[in-house]
Amino acid sequence: MAVHAFYPENPLILSILVQITMQENILELRNITKTFGDFVAVDNVDFELAAGEIHAILGENGAGKSTLMNLIYGLYQPSVGRIYVTDREGWRRRLRARSPRDAIAIGIGMVHQHFMLVENLTVAENIALSLGQSRAGAVGDTSEKDTHKKWLRKFRFKREDAIRITEELSEQFGLTVDPSALVRTLSVGLKQRVEILKALAVDARILILDEPTAVLSPQEVEGFFTILRKLQADGRAIIFISHKMKEVLSISDRITVLRRGKKVYLGATGELTARELAREMIGEEINEVERSGDTPLESKTSESVLELSNLTVLGSRDEIAVSDVSMATHRGEIVGIAGVDGNGQRELAEAVMGLRDTESGTISILGADPKGTKAVRQHGVGYIPEDRQTTGVIASFSVTENLLLNVTHLEKIAHWNVLNQKKKRQTTEELITDYDIRPPIGGTPAAALSGGNQQKIVLAREISLQPDLLIAVNPTRGLDVNAARYVHENLLAQRNAEKSVLLISTELDEVLLLSDQLFVMSRGKLIEATAQRNDIEALGLLMTGE
Amino acid sequence: MNIFKKIDIRWVATPVIILVSAFVTNAIIMLLCDYNPLQAYQAAVSGAFGNSRKFGETLVKSTPFLMAGLSIAMAFRCGIWNIGAEGQFLMGALAATWFGTKLAPLFPETPWIAVPVSLCIASLAGGIWGLIPAVLKVTRGVNEVISTIMLNYVAIHLVSMMIDGGPLQEVSQRGPQSDRIAEWVFLPRLFPPHRIHLGIVIAVVLAIVLTFILFRTAFGYQLRAVGEGAAAAEAAGISIMQNTLRVFFISGALAGLGGAIELTALTRRLYLNFSPGYGYTAIAVALLARLNPLVTVAAALLFGALTTGSYSMQRTVRISDKVTFVMQATILLFVIGYGSIQLFRKRASTTEN
Repeated sequence: MAVHAFYPENPLILSILVQITMQENILELRNITKTFGDFVAVDNVDFELAAGEIHAILGENGAGKSTLMNLIYGLYQPSVGRIYVTDREGWRRRLRARSPRDAIAIGIGMVHQHFMLVENLTVAENIALSLGQSRAGAVGDTSEKDTHKKWLRKFRFKREDAIRITEELSEQFGLTVDPSALVRTLSVGLKQRVEILKALAVDARILILDEPTAVLSPQEVEGFFTILRKLQADGRAIIFISHKMKEVLSISDRITVLRRGKKVYLGATGELTARELAREMIGEEINEVERSGDTPLESKTSESVLELSNLTVLGSRDEIAVSDVSMATHRGEIVGIAGVDGNGQRELAEAVMGLRDTESGTISILGADPKGTKAVRQHGVGYIPEDRQTTGVIASFSVTENLLLNVTHLEKIAHWNVLNQKKKRQTTEELITDYDIRPPIGGTPAAALSGGNQQKIVLAREISLQPDLLIAVNPTRGLDVNAARYVHENLLAQRNAEKSVLLISTELDEVLLLSDQLFVMSRGKLIEATAQRNDIEALGLLMTGE
Repeated sequence: MNIFKKIDIRWVATPVIILVSAFVTNAIIMLLCDYNPLQAYQAAVSGAFGNSRKFGETLVKSTPFLMAGLSIAMAFRCGIWNIGAEGQFLMGALAATWFGTKLAPLFPETPWIAVPVSLCIASLAGGIWGLIPAVLKVTRGVNEVISTIMLNYVAIHLVSMMIDGGPLQEVSQRGPQSDRIAEWVFLPRLFPPHRIHLGIVIAVVLAIVLTFILFRTAFGYQLRAVGEGAAAAEAAGISIMQNTLRVFFISGALAGLGGAIELTALTRRLYLNFSPGYGYTAIAVALLARLNPLVTVAAALLFGALTTGSYSMQRTVRISDKVTFVMQATILLFVIGYGSIQLFRKRASTTEN
C-alpha cells in the first residue's frame, strides 16, 4: 500500500495514515430509519464497518439490532436512508437489496441465530445449496462470464465438486468438519461452522453473526473466537451481535450500542467498562438481584419436595434423553441445573410435569406420585415452560384468559363449572397490577404483548398460586436486563417463602447467581457441581461432557 | 360497555365484504347466462322474506344448516377438523327412523316421552359416530379430516342398505325409503298449517347455550384452550385426549340431532339422498360465522334464504336452482380466500416484529 512510499518510520505520519486506511469503510449506513406502521424500529442510525474489523452491536431485546441487520441483509428495506457497500472490485456502491440474494451477491453473509440448514443433507450438499442460490457463482470460478454455462451448472450437481469445495474452505479457515456427514448428526457448534462455511463459500466479505454464542458452551466459545480472529486476519469484516458483555469486550474492535432504535454510543472497545456499557444499553444503572437472606445451606435438612431416583426418560426420537438421574430439591432452596441446550433438560422438566412418559425410575412430589399433568399441578407444582410462545401462553387468548390457564386457577373461580365473572375480573386485575403487566388491559390478546410481558403473565399465573415446587426452564430467555431481574427476584422470593424452586437454564450466570445447589446436565446425565461453582472452567468442562 | 369495546369494525365488515363479493360474482355469472341479475335477486328476496309464510319456510330451511353449522363450529373452534357432519347427520336420522318405525309403535300415543327419546337416541347415534374418528385419532393418530370424510360414505351407504332391501325399508317395499314414523314421534309444528316447527326453537336455544358454554364455563374454556394452543393447554393440566373425545361427541351429537329434527319434523320418513349435503354446506356456514355459535344463526338463515330464494328465482326468472349451489360455492370460496389473506397478513406482521 501507499503507506510505505512515504516515511514509514515517522510515527506521527504513520498513525495518521493508519487512521486513514482504517476509515476505509466496507459498509456504511447513513440515516437509516425503519418503521413498521407507527412503530419506529430503527431511528436515524448511522453505522459503519471498516474492512477487517470486528464490530459488536450491543442492545437489549427490541433495541433494533435484528431489524438493522435484516436491513443490511436485504430482508427489509429501509424507510429512510441509504446503505453503501464496497463491492468486490473496490467500488463504493449504493446497496438497494430487495432480498438476501442481492446482499449475498455483493458479499454480505449472515449466520442466523436459528440455523438455516437442511438437516437431512450432508455438509457438502448444504454448501452446494448456498452456491446455487448465489448469483456470484462458485468459488474460484468468478471469472466465468458465460451465463449460459452458469445456468447449466445450476442444474448439474457433482458430489465430488461439493466435497472438494467444502474441504478447501475448511482447510483454508481451519473450520474442520466432515463434508459427508449428515447435518442432523452434527452438534450445535459444528452446525454453526457449516453456517459460516456457507457464507464463506459465496465469498462473503461482510459476515453478520446474530447471537452466535448463545448456543455454545464456554469451551466452544473459545474455539469460535479463534475462528473469528482467523477470518479477521483474512480481511473479512464481522458484525457481532450479542448481549453478553464479556464476549463483546474480549473479541470486538469497536462497539455500537443501540437503545430503543437509536444509536447511543460508538467507540473503540475498552473505552468503556462493562458497567458503563450496560448503562448505555438500558439508559440507567443495572443492579443484579441481591441474594437477600442468604442462609447457609442448612436446607438439606429441610423437607424434600421433589425427589427423582434413577429416572430415565426417552426423547422425541426414542433416544435416551434423561439417563438414570437421581436428585432432590428441598424447601427454601433453589436447585439450579446448568447445561448447553438439548442435553435432556427439556425432557427432564416435561417428565416431572407429567407431560412425558418415563422409561424407568420414580418421581416423587411431596411423597406422592401424581399421574398426569393435572394431578401434578393439583399437587402444588408450578411450571414456567421453556417455550413461552407455544407452551407458556396462548397467543390468541386475551391476557385475562391466559392468566387463568392453569387447572387450579380455573377450579378456584368456577362454581358448578360456570366461571364467576366477578371473581375472574378481580383475580386477573389483581395479578395484572401486582405483576405490572403492560398494557394493563385484560382484553388485549397475548400476541400483542412483548416477550417480557408475556413472561410476566406466566409468572403471575404460576407464582400467585404459591406452588410448593416451581419448575422454571430458561425463564429469562429473550428478556432484557430489567425483565430478567424481575424474574430473578420472583424466584428468590419463592425460595425465601420456604418453597422449592428447580431452575433449569442455559444461562450459566443466572444459575450461578441464584442456585443453592448446582447441577450440570450433559448428555442426559446429571452431575452434582455445587463444589465447582466458583470454577467456570471446570463447569465448562462438565457442560461439554469432558 | 366492555362488550362495545370488544366489537371490532372488521368483525362486521368481513362477512359483508364476503357476501357483497359473492353476490357481485354471481350477478356476473347470471349476466353471462343472459339472465337479469337484479330481477333474479329481487325474486330471491321476495321468495325468502316476502311474507310470513315465506319467511317461515326460510326458517325451516335454515334449521339443518344451523344444526350442522353448530356441529362444525364447535369442532373447528376446538381444533378438530370434523368434516363428518354429513355422516353424523344421517346417523341421527337413521336412529330416529329406527326408533320412530320400530320401537315407538310398541308404546302408542306417548308423544311426551317419544319425542324427547327419539331426539336423544339420534344425538347419541351421531355422537357415537363422531367418536369413531376421535378414538382413531387419540389412539392411532389418524388424521380426522380423512377418517371423517370416509365415514360419511360409510354412513350414506349404511342408510341405503337399511332402506333399500334392508330391515328399515317400507313394508310395502315399493321404493328405497322407510315407513313413515309413528305419529306421536312427530316434532310438533308451532303454527299449523305453517311448517315452522319446534326444532327451530331447539336449534336457536342450543346456539345460545353453546355460546355460554364456550365463553362462560370452565368446560368451554378448556375446549377452546385445546383448540387455540394445544401445547399450552396440556402444560396447564388440561387433557388433550379427554377434550378431543368430548368435542367429537358434542359435534357428532349436534349433527345427529339436526338429522333427527329434519326427519321427525318435516320428511317423517327416511329416503335416499335425505341430506343434500347439509354437512358439507355447514362448513361454509360455520366459517362465514367465524365459528361463533350465535353468529351461526345468522349465517344459517342466509343459507336458508338462499335455498328458498332460489325456488322463487326458478319460478319467476326461470333460472336453474343450481344457481344456489353456485352461490354457496362462491361464498365458501370468498370465505376461504379472505381467511387466507388474513392469515398471510398475520404472518407478515408477526415476522416484522
